[in-house]
Amino acid sequence: MIRFFLLQNRQGKTRLSKWYVPPPTANTASMSTANGNHMLSAGANPALYTTNNQTEAEKARIEAEVHRLVTSRDKKYTNFIEYNNYKLIYRRYAGLFFTIAVDVQDNELSFLESIHLFVELLDSYFANVCELDIVFNFNKVYMILDEYMLAGEIEETSKREILDRVKYLEKLD
Amino acid sequence: MSGMHLSREFFELIKSIGESKSKQEEDRIIINEIAVLKKKLENDKPGSITTSIPGAPGGGVATGGNTLTTNKKKAREFLVRVLYVEMLGHDGSFGYIKAVELAASQSIVHKRTGYMVCACCLSPDHPFRFMLVNQMQRDLVSSNLLESCGALIAVTNLITPDLVGTVSSQVIGLLDHSAETVRKKAIVALHRLHQLSPDAVPQQEVIEKTRKMLCDRDPAVMGSTLNVIEALARVNVQPFKDLVPSLISILKQICERRLPSEYDYHRIPAPWMQMKIVRILSVIGKNDIQASEGMYEILGDCLRKAEEAGINASNAIVYECIRCITVIYPNPVLLDAAGNSISRFLSSRSQNLRYLGVTGLASIVERHPKYAADHQLAVIECLEDKDDTLLRKTLDLLYRMTNPVNVEFITDRLLHFLRGSTDPYLKKDLTGKICTIAERYAPNNGWYVRTVTELFKIAGDLVDPAVATNLMSLVAEGTGNEDADDEADMLLRKQAVELYVTLLASAPNRMNRVLVETLAWVLGEYGYLSSIMPLDAIIDGMCKLLQSGNTAKLGGGAPSTRRLILSAIMKMVSQYGNCPAAAAKVIDDYTKSSDPDAQKRCLEFQTLLTTAPHMLGEVFPVDASLEDVDVDENLSFLNGLVSEAISSGARPYQRPEDDDDDDMYVGGSLSSETASTFKVTPYEKPTTTYGQGRMAGMGSTNMGPGGNANVTLPPGSGGTSQAAVTPSLPITPAQPQLMMRNVANVWGKQQPPPPPASTPAPVSTPASSGYRGFGAPAPSSYGGFGASSPVPAPAAPVKTAEQLEKERLAAALFGGISTTSQPPPPPPAAVTPQILTAASITPAATPVVAAPISAPAPPVTAPAPAAAAPAPEIDLLDMGSWGADPGPVATAAPSTLDMLAPTPLIQETVAAPPPAAPPAPPAPVPAPASVDPFADAGLLDGYTESAPLPSFGSSDTLGSAKFEFGGVAVAPLVITTPQFGERWGRCPATHPVNVPSSSSASTLSKFMALCERAGLHKVEEIPATNEGIAACMADGGSAVALVHGKVSPLPGGQQSRVDITVKSTDAQLGGTLAMYLQNMIR
Repeated sequence: MIRFFLLQNRQGKTRLSKWYVPPPTANTASMSTANGNHMLSAGANPALYTTNNQTEAEKARIEAEVHRLVTSRDKKYTNFIEYNNYKLIYRRYAGLFFTIAVDVQDNELSFLESIHLFVELLDSYFANVCELDIVFNFNKVYMILDEYMLAGEIEETSKREILDRVKYLEKLD
Repeated sequence: MSGMHLSREFFELIKSIGESKSKQEEDRIIINEIAVLKKKLENDKPGSITTSIPGAPGGGVATGGNTLTTNKKKAREFLVRVLYVEMLGHDGSFGYIKAVELAASQSIVHKRTGYMVCACCLSPDHPFRFMLVNQMQRDLVSSNLLESCGALIAVTNLITPDLVGTVSSQVIGLLDHSAETVRKKAIVALHRLHQLSPDAVPQQEVIEKTRKMLCDRDPAVMGSTLNVIEALARVNVQPFKDLVPSLISILKQICERRLPSEYDYHRIPAPWMQMKIVRILSVIGKNDIQASEGMYEILGDCLRKAEEAGINASNAIVYECIRCITVIYPNPVLLDAAGNSISRFLSSRSQNLRYLGVTGLASIVERHPKYAADHQLAVIECLEDKDDTLLRKTLDLLYRMTNPVNVEFITDRLLHFLRGSTDPYLKKDLTGKICTIAERYAPNNGWYVRTVTELFKIAGDLVDPAVATNLMSLVAEGTGNEDADDEADMLLRKQAVELYVTLLASAPNRMNRVLVETLAWVLGEYGYLSSIMPLDAIIDGMCKLLQSGNTAKLGGGAPSTRRLILSAIMKMVSQYGNCPAAAAKVIDDYTKSSDPDAQKRCLEFQTLLTTAPHMLGEVFPVDASLEDVDVDENLSFLNGLVSEAISSGARPYQRPEDDDDDDMYVGGSLSSETASTFKVTPYEKPTTTYGQGRMAGMGSTNMGPGGNANVTLPPGSGGTSQAAVTPSLPITPAQPQLMMRNVANVWGKQQPPPPPASTPAPVSTPASSGYRGFGAPAPSSYGGFGASSPVPAPAAPVKTAEQLEKERLAAALFGGISTTSQPPPPPPAAVTPQILTAASITPAATPVVAAPISAPAPPVTAPAPAAAAPAPEIDLLDMGSWGADPGPVATAAPSTLDMLAPTPLIQETVAAPPPAAPPAPPAPVPAPASVDPFADAGLLDGYTESAPLPSFGSSDTLGSAKFEFGGVAVAPLVITTPQFGERWGRCPATHPVNVPSSSSASTLSKFMALCERAGLHKVEEIPATNEGIAACMADGGSAVALVHGKVSPLPGGQQSRVDITVKSTDAQLGGTLAMYLQNMIR
């Protein structure tokens, strides 16, 4: 199962980050058990917002680390990295790094191709995609991703179906 | 075209961020942007609305013209900008509320944007998620399928466990939606809900729905259902077993390109679906011969077609097929095909494919080592690669292909990488692996000592303390056979001493705790053996070591290390016969130590030294760590004193009700257990403090002037193993002894097995008083020890397929030679060829089964074959080349019985009857009468995971009657019913089966007999309720399986039904055992 999907440029700017499994934070466990109560006192309780910040901080930390790992690797190396208790599969297109974090028992090559299919999707949608397209239309990139992956699994692999769906939504705008 | 749809303002922002030269500049721009956005939000107050001009170009802060509330397009851009701010790592939480608002918008595009921003920004416990539930509920049941889709995506992203119940019924409703795009999302969403809260969405329901959705007419729905099936099958495979034909048919259609061409990817038909199906097949086919057989053909097709294409996507399929083929019940043709594909990967120039090749090889060599041979060069190349990822996989491969021949090379390599590694995950992993292979395959004891010491040097802080204790007992005990190989033992000790002396001289300040403690003990015991440095120089060195600042820091400044060094110095002084000045000074210093233990030792030693130096030799006996100390536990020498006191009016001693002083025996708990006067409960998890506690305890007991404590140092060291091997040695309660088998014995030289006549000894042992004396405390202590102490366990030679292969070869080649070197088994008639051939077609593993079969052969009495059956077994096992020592093991086990020797029970893999059987022959006897031995053998042949063994003499058939896990027969786990109950709750994996039984288990006693034949220990049989429980362990006790069976007669017939529940610490063990029992009963 996919834990997160990242799109970063060479300088380390995140262009897209989608988390299917939230990163573990120190508070996660205790907060989720107390979930029932804090709804009532949500507005008054500033601790809730610090939790949000903690999650975000942990995401930012992992994203920075992933960037450091993928950019420091030689081109000839494998596209796989063992990272904590899961695996990173990454692929570089021009100045952009696409990274998927998956479970250890998942098929590395399969996800390497999943990244490529996603790039093909972007390429068809933007007609010759470049980094700027993604920068200016990142919300659409999220939308394409939502049609492609769902709940951490590859949901649809037909390019036509995904693009039709996204373009149809576009027309409604 | 980029950015055409954006407002000028936002366009400029993105541009300026793109052009910013530094992080500081970027931060400044974003902080500015946040201020602008907040302003927009502030202006968006009721009352500040005028007219809205859709599409009006923005400019500066929205000034009355467009507010976010009225102009949804503005609101959307606002949110996108908030998301942008968040992506750059700043806090955009002020705008979240707008996202929630926008999710309620009428327009589907705005709605999706709202959901999307919420999904990206809201942390799992953010209260706004709660506010979205109502909206999601409404959208899920919307007549507009786009709204339903949007809501389903939102459900997978935003629902938290406590909210599952609010949307589950709507999601289930959408499974029948007319649009396939809704259905395919709904099934994934349903599974997500189930994962979040298995209570709100029960597994049974998801399984039912999933099975239905697999047959959906739309391939996209089927495709996304495959994801769900895989995830569910990994948790519980049973409900999907019957899907194999459907899955095969789908895979076949895909391979034949019967799916719409839009699913092709680089001209490969639907590669992701192919891979998913193959993955599911591997989950189902694991340990299931019948299911596996159904898959062979399609797997072969799929692999062949994928091989033809030769691009990345097809290679991914090939890789998936390889993994499946190595996991399911093996098929030689497929294995060869997989082997070829692995070769192709390994010889590829693409680093990724080499990586897959190494991974594939690692998955195949464990069970089929022959495939490793062709790729030695490729593997060595990978080892020299600079890519860390590839390197790690290669190390893993090496670990898996280790055997006694290459162990030195591989260990060398692993140590080399460990030295250079900085990653804590990798270091820990490597350390564990090195320990495992060093213990399992060590070619000789000297090598083992050197290797482990080297490991201590590199990563002592990561090593399990038990390894250090093992090392010490190995040095102390050597081969464990004093008569045969005293010289070799001495040589080993000398080598070890010199190794540590060199270390002491070269790097006294760079040693870690484990190393220092081991060094101190070895030098303290055997320092006098050193020929490269005189003893007084060693004493000097130790004194320096004791005083070094480094030593003081070890273990966080714990005093135990220093106490150990002190002890060592004292022992060496005693050996030396004179106290060098340095030692005298150190000891004098420590008489003022703040550590009371060290202070006491030093004061006592000083006193001894000054007043009675001739006593030193007795207090510190040379090479006596294995000697048992006679403990007069009745303290009879005090009798005179006591009676005198009583006669002068003292009150007689009364034992306190609750003796809290037990604590002081932690160090020597093993010896105190055997003393029947102490009430001893098994200690939970002693391993954490094992090494240290033991070492510390050792020192102090050594010092005890009265000598009323056991001096035997390392756990499991014990000349006592001698007692275990020779059953004739009387074991009396008056002589508490350490009854533990030592792992080091694994490498010991073969010991001649005891006279075969003694083999039936276990049957008679219970009658002897000595045995009964032990009986009371032993079972409980065993339970505690077996459960909590993994110390001796790792060394139990787990027989890999390769070993079995080699053993078979050895058996074929040297069978005759070996048997002649052994004393002939007692009734020669029983080992004649007739018996062997008879045995080869019957599961004659247990005496009970053997009896009726051998009866038609030479007329022998019933007990005789029972004794004879294990005897040829020992011969065959003795073939175990590379110094594994099953001889004493196999013989020791029956004679000492389970409570005395937990480890050997595991080691006697295929040999020896279940220990419970001999004392109670009457119970199992009825069973064989009704069992068709041939049917049994057939079932088992089909069952064992490795390929059927061709004519492995009697041992093969003997082995096959027992349940094997990973190629090794399980060992009975001797526990009591309360212990069983306690463990029952702690076992994570449950495998229930119920089978209509044939005559083989029509009654409870037959069922229990069946369990015992499988190698389980019968814990209890309760005829009143027709229930029985049994237990066994595998992998040297690391995995435990508990079986509960209930036999219920079916109404109105001969038939009955058996409900079995197998609980185990290892899901695989439990699963295979359940299946095995099921097959046996059928």
